[in-house]
Amino acid sequence: MGTTRSENPHEARSKSMYCLETCDLHHRYPNGTPVLDGLALQVPTGSIYGFLGPNGAGKTTTLRLVLGLLEAQRGTITIFGKRLAANRIEVLRDIGSLIESPSVYEHLTARENLAVLQRVHRCPPPRIDEVLNLVGLRDTGSKRAGAFSLGMKQRLGIAAALLHAPALLILDEPTNGLDPGGIVEMRELLARLNRERGTTIVVSSHLLAEVERLATHLCILHRGRTVFQGPLEDLRRTQQPMRSVRIATRDDAAALAIIAAMAPDARIVDGAISLPAMPAEDIARLNRLLVERGIDVHELRPVVDDLESIFMDLVEARAT
Amino acid sequence: MSAAFVHAFQGEWLKRRRSLASWLVIAGSCFTPLIVIVARLVRPDGLARRYAADGFWLQLWRNSWESMAIFFLPMVAILAASLLAQVEFRNHAWKQVHALPLAPATIYFSKFAVLLLMMLQFFLLFDLAIYLSAIVPWLLVRGVPYPQDPVPWAYALREDLFYFVDCLPIVAAQFALSVRYGNFLVPVGVGFLAWVGALGALPWKYAYAIPYTYCMLNYLKDDASRKAAVPPEDFHAYAIAWFVVFTVVGYILFSRNRQKG
Repeated sequence: MGTTRSENPHEARSKSMYCLETCDLHHRYPNGTPVLDGLALQVPTGSIYGFLGPNGAGKTTTLRLVLGLLEAQRGTITIFGKRLAANRIEVLRDIGSLIESPSVYEHLTARENLAVLQRVHRCPPPRIDEVLNLVGLRDTGSKRAGAFSLGMKQRLGIAAALLHAPALLILDEPTNGLDPGGIVEMRELLARLNRERGTTIVVSSHLLAEVERLATHLCILHRGRTVFQGPLEDLRRTQQPMRSVRIATRDDAAALAIIAAMAPDARIVDGAISLPAMPAEDIARLNRLLVERGIDVHELRPVVDDLESIFMDLVEARAT
Repeated sequence: MSAAFVHAFQGEWLKRRRSLASWLVIAGSCFTPLIVIVARLVRPDGLARRYAADGFWLQLWRNSWESMAIFFLPMVAILAASLLAQVEFRNHAWKQVHALPLAPATIYFSKFAVLLLMMLQFFLLFDLAIYLSAIVPWLLVRGVPYPQDPVPWAYALREDLFYFVDCLPIVAAQFALSVRYGNFLVPVGVGFLAWVGALGALPWKYAYAIPYTYCMLNYLKDDASRKAAVPPEDFHAYAIAWFVVFTVVGYILFSRNRQKG
């Protein structure tokens, strides 16, 4: 009694290469509808692992299984090198989570909400102010959480997840309800936690651009199966051939006439010239030609898929 | 008692702060004595004679407990259990509770212990309110003497203990239902139907087998009009037995729930 948990999360962290692994994870709804079909996740220790998928892909079900909120029907879940089924309490000590809507006791203040959890986690009381400061809720005073905006509740949910300085943070749609400024702050906060404390972060989101800016690793889930898993750069490399070349000039019509001989399929699209993909040497030659003819080139870049296009391609390929 | 349980209990006790359940305990315990105070201040005729009579405190005790034992105590047990569980349901907080490093037994029994403590708090406040319902008219109405009899504390505490034991089956059954069903109407509806059934079954010779009757039986055990079939044997033991059964069944249902939160 009265003891506080002061262990360093770096010590608590698994020495395993993967902080979280699932193997052959299956799950069905009570009516028999399959949700997960042999899911095998590998979340590298120290990564920010983006968990993407369309609605109904099984993201939240997976996160609920990982937290023991759903009983695993088939397959294994290993966290920090330990089987969840046999070491649930020990494993949960080093996990902070925010699943779906934030769990906030609306009749209590932000500080009281965290005090409830501080007792259970046995972390030092000053930690409450630290995390409130971290999420920008330090000055909420006696205001009850019921009077908070959705964004403030979301921040409080994040503060609750961070309270015990977990080694693994599992966040389901953490930017829900946040304004653009709040989203940027949240992204910076998560990046800082990952960088400074080495916290492994699993973040599911439907905001693909958000995940693209934050994640180091990615898992794309569709109909309960992974369609891609690995470092973000691998995804970009393997899935992003150049689609076209975009050239913006001072006089696009004159430029189009000049380059028509080299690229007969060129046309003006959305205020710039669009050309089919071509080797880098040809692009350089085009640029020289335009400049020699006195056409100022404002922009010249290869057009590649953004993450959203890649995501849609992968999902559609799996669907067909 | 493990440290995890103590810390979980502290957390649960914090949660009940300013909750509807905690307000219910205060309002429910003060309601009848407040009515007594108002009635005596509005109609002070004969108060002086009543305060001077022998057996003042026992009469006040029985008057105060009449509505409490028959109606308010079962209702407070039913509503307090439901409101306490609703703190988690309404705030979508079960998922957070189940993701804490706590065993299901710690989660269930720490919350249950808070409910039991709140019921004790209810009895304590009710006793205090009964005492105040005697003192306030004495202070405010001219010519009313302080009661001659000594306050029967030992009797009051013994009866409190009986009533507490007798309400335990209701508390345990309602808690089991309340943490199981997110819809507030299910435990409250079942509790209300069980209370009506218990009330109707009071004249039946096996009324003591019904878990919601014991508070009423305890009040009516000295009733000369014999409105209830009070068994000759110790029905408090039946109350304890039902309490154990409902607690065990409630915990099994809670821990085997496949979807948590």
